[in-house]
Parts: sequence; C-alpha cells; structure tokens
Amino acid sequence: MKGVIFSIEEFAVHDGPGLRVNVFMKGCPLRCKWCHNPEGWNPNPQIVKNPNGCLDCGKCSNLCPSPAHCILCKTCVFNCPRDLIRISGEEWEAKDLARRILKQEHIMEKSGGGVTVSGGEPLCQADFVIELLSLMPSLHKIIETCGFGDTSKFNELLRCVDSVYYDIKVVSRDKHIRYTGQPNDIILKNLEILKKSGVEFTIRIPFIRGVNDDAENLLATARLLIGAQGLKRVELLPYNELAGAKYALVGLQYGEIFAKPDGEVVRRAKNIFSSYGIDIDIR
Amino acid sequence: MMTDSIKRQLDFLNQRKHREHRRELTSEQWDEIAEKITDKSLSYMRRNVLRLELFLEHETPVILENTKIHGLRTLIDFPDIYAEGELDEIRKTHFIHEKGKVTNLAWDCGTVLSEGLEGRRKRLMEGKRSDSEFVICANRVIDATIAFSDRYADKMDTTAGTALRRAIRTGCQTMTEALQVFRILHFTLWAAGNYHNTVGRFDQWIYPFYEKDLKNGVLTDDGAFELIEDFFLSFNRDSDLYYSLAWGDNGQSLVLGGMLPDGTNGVNRLTEMCLRASLELRQIDPKINLRVDINTPVELFELGSELTKAGLGFPQYSNDDVVIPGLIRLGYAPEHARDYVMAACWEFIIPKVAMDIPNIGAMPLAQVVNDTIRLNLKKCKNIEELLGFVEKEIRRKAADMAEKLKPLYIETSPFQSILMEGCLEKGEDISNGLVYNNYGFHGTGFSCAVDQLAAVDSLIFKTGKITSDRLLKGLESNFENDRELRHILRNDADKIGRDENARVIGNHLLDIFAKALECIKNERGGIFRAGTGSAMYYIWHSKDLPATADGRDAGQPLPANFSPSLFLTGAGPFSVMSGFAFPSIVKAVNGGPLTFELHDSVFNHPDSVKKVALLVRSYILAGGHQLQINAVNREKMIDAQKNPDKHKDLIVRVWGWSGHFVELDKCYQDHVISRAEFSV
Repeated sequence: MKGVIFSIEEFAVHDGPGLRVNVFMKGCPLRCKWCHNPEGWNPNPQIVKNPNGCLDCGKCSNLCPSPAHCILCKTCVFNCPRDLIRISGEEWEAKDLARRILKQEHIMEKSGGGVTVSGGEPLCQADFVIELLSLMPSLHKIIETCGFGDTSKFNELLRCVDSVYYDIKVVSRDKHIRYTGQPNDIILKNLEILKKSGVEFTIRIPFIRGVNDDAENLLATARLLIGAQGLKRVELLPYNELAGAKYALVGLQYGEIFAKPDGEVVRRAKNIFSSYGIDIDIR
Repeated sequence: MMTDSIKRQLDFLNQRKHREHRRELTSEQWDEIAEKITDKSLSYMRRNVLRLELFLEHETPVILENTKIHGLRTLIDFPDIYAEGELDEIRKTHFIHEKGKVTNLAWDCGTVLSEGLEGRRKRLMEGKRSDSEFVICANRVIDATIAFSDRYADKMDTTAGTALRRAIRTGCQTMTEALQVFRILHFTLWAAGNYHNTVGRFDQWIYPFYEKDLKNGVLTDDGAFELIEDFFLSFNRDSDLYYSLAWGDNGQSLVLGGMLPDGTNGVNRLTEMCLRASLELRQIDPKINLRVDINTPVELFELGSELTKAGLGFPQYSNDDVVIPGLIRLGYAPEHARDYVMAACWEFIIPKVAMDIPNIGAMPLAQVVNDTIRLNLKKCKNIEELLGFVEKEIRRKAADMAEKLKPLYIETSPFQSILMEGCLEKGEDISNGLVYNNYGFHGTGFSCAVDQLAAVDSLIFKTGKITSDRLLKGLESNFENDRELRHILRNDADKIGRDENARVIGNHLLDIFAKALECIKNERGGIFRAGTGSAMYYIWHSKDLPATADGRDAGQPLPANFSPSLFLTGAGPFSVMSGFAFPSIVKAVNGGPLTFELHDSVFNHPDSVKKVALLVRSYILAGGHQLQINAVNREKMIDAQKNPDKHKDLIVRVWGWSGHFVELDKCYQDHVISRAEFSV
C-alpha cells in the first residue's frame, strides 16, 4: 500500500542505537504549540516556500494556473529563479520504500542500527508502517509516536518493532487539550498497552517551562511508569528555541513562545524520576 | 593536558605576536641580492644555491619564549633566481608546472635525521660523480644549512646549542634533537623555494627516537606529548608566508598509521598521541591524514571523529586496502606502495624515492561529457554507445594534454636532493628524476559528468520521459525557455550517490579515464595516474562550462573532488558512501576524497562521535578509497561573511586543505556554503 512521507533522513543520530535511517511520516493529529516541524502536520503533499532569499519577482503567483486551490502542478517550483519552492510529501509504495532503505542494510546492520519511523505521526498511517516494517526483518526497528491513534492498530504495530519512543507531553487532560489540541485519554490508554506488551520503550517528554515542568506533572508522569518492565529510560527534551523556524515555510505563523526550564527545575525533575528508580536523560 | 608553556605559546601565536619579528629586505638589499642571483653567467643550479645561501645569511635566528622547537622565518619575501622575463622565455619552449620548482614531495626524514648532514655529505662524496656541478652545489647547501643551524645553536642555552651542533652534523640522538633538526630542514626547504613541503609518516620516523628516549629515561609520555604539541605549533608560525594558491593551501600534510613497508601494522603509541595533540591545539597545520584499513579498531576512528567534531576539516582518511593494491597496480614496488603518504592535499605519493608530479593537470570530465552529449547524443541509441563517444574523447584529450607537457622544465633543487634517497649516490639533482617519475591527472567534475550521463540514460534511453531534442534545446538556452526540464533533470534523473544505475555509470567512467591514461607515457619514462581530486579546478573549470544535462546552470560551480552533486536530494550519508565506493577506484588512485559536510548539530548528541566513527568505518568497509568529512554550520559561515571579525577562528575544509574561513576568497567561501550538508 501507499503512504506519504516528507523526509528520509540517513544518519539520524538522535533516534536510536547505531547507524539509522529515520522515515518521517506526513500527517499528525496533534498541534503541539511547541512543535518545530509543522511540515509534518498536513497528511497530504503540499507546496513549501522558503522565504529567505525570495526576490518577490511574483513569478510563482503570476504563472500559477490555479491560484484558488493548489493542484500541485509544480509551475511555481519550476519557475522560481532562486529554487526556493518545493513540494513536501511524497507518496511511496511500502515495498519501494523498504527496498530504498534496505539498500543501506549493510551499513545499518554492522553498526547495530536500523530504521526509525517517526513523523508527523506513524499511527496516522499505521497500515502502511506495519507493511513497511514487516518488509525489513533484518533491521532493528523503532517507532516514535505520540500515542494518539487507534488502539488495535497500535497493538499491531507493537508486534513489528524492537523499541518505541513514546511521547508524554503532559498528564493533565485539560492542559493536554490546551497545548496540543487533543485530549490524552487514548494516549494514556495506549501507554498501558505499551507497558503490558513487554516491548522496550523510552519515554520522551518535550520539557517546557510553565507547561509540564511542575513537580505535580512530573510526579504524575513518573507514577504512570511504575512497574513498566520494558521502560528503558525517560528522556527530557528541553524546549527548542528555534521551534518557530520552519513555520514560514508552510505559510504559517508560529504562535506562543516558550522557554526551557531552568537548571534547578531540571535537577528537580531528575530527582523525581530517579526516586522512582527510573533512568533519566536530559537531551 | 596542555602544559602552561604550550598554552602561552598558543596564545602568543593566536595573537600573531611572532609576526613582530618579521622584516622586509630594504630595496637596496633586494636589488643587490636580485642582481647576484639572476646573474646569467651562472647556471640555474648555482643561482639556486647562491639564493639559498643568501636567504639563510639574511635570516635572523629568533628564540621565542616558552618554545622548545625553534625556527621562525623573519624575512617576508626574497628575490627569485630569474631575471625579468626569463621564466617567460623558458615557457615559450617548455611546459612549466605551477612555479617550475620541485614541490609536493616527502623526504627521507628517518635516514636524514639519523645520519645528519655530514652523513649525507659522506654519501655524496662516495657517490658516482664526486666532481660534478651537482656535487659542488650539494656541498654548498649542506654548508649553508649547517651554518644557519649553528647561528640558532648560538642563541640557545649551552646544552641545547651543543646538541643541535652535533645533531645537524652527525645525526640526532633524542626526540627533541630530531624535531629540532627537522624544523631547521623544513624551514630551509621553504627558504630554498620548494613548496607544499610535507611531513610524511611522522609517527613512524619519530618513533625510534621516542622509544630510545623512553628506554634511556630521558623522556616520559607526558614530555613526548608536550614536544609533539610544540612541534605541531611550529608549522603555524610561518605558514602565511608560504607560496600557495590560496591561504592555508601550504601542503604541510602529516600521515599517521597504516601498513609498514614490511607489511606489518604501523599504528603505535604516537599515532594516538598525535591525534590528541592536534585536537587540543586546534590549528590548521599540520594537516592530519589517517591511514586505515578493514582491521583498524573503531577506537581510532573515534579519535579521528573527535577532530572532525572540533571542526578542523581533518583527519582525511585513506584506505590501505584500496590504495596499496592500486599503487602496486600502477607499478610501484610493494614496499614503496605500503609506505605511501599524502602530498599537499590528497594525492598519494611515495616518500624518499619518488619525484612524481601528481597534480600536473586535470581532465575536465564534466566538460568532456557535456561536449560529447551536445555533439553525439542524437547518434546514440543507448548509454553504451554514448560512453563509447565519451571514451574516444577522453583518450583524445588525454593524449593532447600529455603532449602539451613536453618538454617539462623543472628548476634544480640541490637542497631537496640531499633529503631524498638516491640523488647523492648518483650525483644527480632530483629535478632529473628518481625511481618513480609519474604524473597525475585529476578528474574534475566527476559527479557532474556521471549525473549528465545518468540523466540521459534514465530520462531519454530508458524511460523516454524527455526527448534528445528537448534536452539539447534546453542546454542551448541554459534552460531559459524550459524550466520544467531543468527541474526534471535535477530531481527526477538518476544521480550518483543515490541511484544504482548512476553508480554503474560512474564505475564505467572511472574505468574509461584510467584506461585512457594507461595508454600514454610521459617523457621522463613515467606513467600517468588517474585521480578523483579537483584542486581549484572545480572553480576554474566551471566558469566557462555551459548548462549541463544534470540540470546545472551555465557557470554554476562543480562539486569539489569526489563529491556528490550540489543538488542531490533524497540521499544522505549512507547512500552517498555506498554510491561512491567503486570497484574501479583501484585503477584511479592518484587521490581525491569523497568529501561531504555534516551539520555541526550532529555532534550535540553524546554518542555522536561514536556514530561518526561507525559512519567513516562503513565507507572503508564498503571499499571507499579516501574520505573527508567536515562539521559545518551554514548559518555561522553566512554570519562570518558579514562579520569576519567575530569568526576569525572558524576553520573549514576547502579542497584538500583546511583554512580560516574569513581569509578565503569569496568564491571559495560561497562554494563551501553551498555544498551538500546533511543535517540531523
């Protein structure tokens, strides 16, 4: 079957052991206010324009045959004199993508690496991801997910992977709605499934001042993880101050500006997780 | 850990305080010297010797504080041996390579340092032609060098001075002496007008002195480390005064590790120590080359990756498993092939016994393919036929290029001769040649050439997506009226570093290039070696090159060396490494690395050094021959163009060498910025 991806990144050093390829699926059900990759939101291929270096020559709009509704004809892409316009998102057959990744199997295998499927949100195209991963039996496989997706598909996916990066943004349901646009009931339900599955997993928390850095939230998060045998560690990912950098590319404006928690708060967070016997890593 | 004296020396150097000792000759001195050394009644060899004698006499020995290895150039410039117009006259009847000097060689450090200059003189006097002009001249340069060294000795403390007087004459006993005498000889080589003077297999030639010192209890590992740092710093004192095509391109390459002439592994304690010293100092000289093979432990790659992380643009890796068989295939004896080092950039040269000129010309592969497509595409039904025309053109061009190198003029160099093996015994100047007298041709615009062929194959011959007429029309108009075509060529065509078909074509093209050179000999009895480097030709050859079938606009730069297209998309380091490991590279080992850039944010992750090491190793395991990875930050470079004052220390790799970004010509700065960068 076909899936839409917006990037294949070789040598993804941050997303699993060894030398890895990271496949970014297009489309995400959440709209986290700190998201640094809005290119991953829209599930369909779309035009992206780099505003840096634009001459304002007007060719892209003047030559456009369908200004009211983009038909991805690429006229603007061909005619931009500075090559600033491209299409983000490409349809791939799972078997073609698997073949593409497996071309470098020798490099990944020898280093204990493999493939990570991330996004966007892999659960949004679960059937495609399941087929893709099943076609690469020799590789170490990871999915990186926010957990917001169909529970039975999530279960199925867990059977295809060696490890999971699972996001917990914030435990409070209200806050979750406020900062991501969606409630977290499904996410917490899928977390329970993950815990029971025996699959190795790492919890990733985007760590943001005033959103989820309070003791109450961190304690609640740690309690959620009690007794999870597959839990490898918790990774805190302090807020990326360049989060807004790519919004203009997709014609959006970055909204709220957040900040990293300060050193004292980071230390407190470390202590909280450590007190529950959880390995903690700050990235 | 860096000692206080190294720290102070480093500060002194970074603040450029050593330059306060420099002086210009007065115009009277300049005229007087110029008159003497351009005297037409003297042979060029005698002029060359007289020039060196006067240069050294006019030098002022300087002992810098906190320094153990002395030698600082104080003369900013010195006249040449040619009267006005004289070299142009020679050029009318000869081919002159670059400045016409003996250059880009690796001398016999181990033997020379062990036996001293009197030991060299003994070989000379016992040699075959003890009364020739060469013998007289070689004797004079030995005298001049000893006298110069003695003037340094006079300024040192008594013990060090006495040791240097003895060591320069009869050979070095300790590591300190060996480094000091090397410094004097290296200094003199530059003074003699030779350039791109390399350091050779440092961890090999210095090892016996280190080992002896340890055994005699006169040195500890900490002491040796400090000495190495002191020695490394000495390469950065005068480098801005050395002749080069661009600042930083001075050829002070140093080689570590690798197989020894007897076939055993040469990695020793100093290999690691040198890597650590270079990492701690973060200077652009000496430029580190690491020889590796399939059995090299990952820890050595990790140490190398620490240097990459530091943004130094080196080490450059070369793969013994490919290079040695390649050199043997070209006719080098196994013991010589195993001893290879790097010339100024990446050309593989043999120390002591070779007078090769590995950068004598450049085959403009991108241009040859472009011409062939424009002339012959419509006559071809498949890629094999087109490659047939390419082969014909490369052969024609190679023969033509080789013919234009005759007769070659090279200035004599008695001083370089006394440092090599065989000149003294034979009583002949090195400019007449040594055991090996081969020439090398770079192959510039390799990926552009391959991508043009791959585009034609994938879009015209295989799928019929575009027609020959459309392509030729598009090329003619620089894509002005067919922007869609340009997009298709750039994005939909097969490209090397991503598509298997392009890799097959690349392998074929390399094979054609190597075979074309196999058919010709040079006038010195040597062969021609095919290579994958570009040197500055990637800029020179691109300026007049019209639009090409890979979607490149007229005049747009070519990728440097053996690098992927500047608009390769959908491929990262794994694809590029697999795509650039060719079976036929063994036939084309003149040198020229796969070069690519990683965004420096890769190194934010604690495991990144390990992962970069694994990545480098995977290229070696795949059969790649030479590799150079840079950690770069595009934003930082753009800012450095606007605010050079803020980025004085920013180091980048340019083509075969590292330089300070803010001191490069803008065209090179722009090229470094535009190169493919794999960010994470």
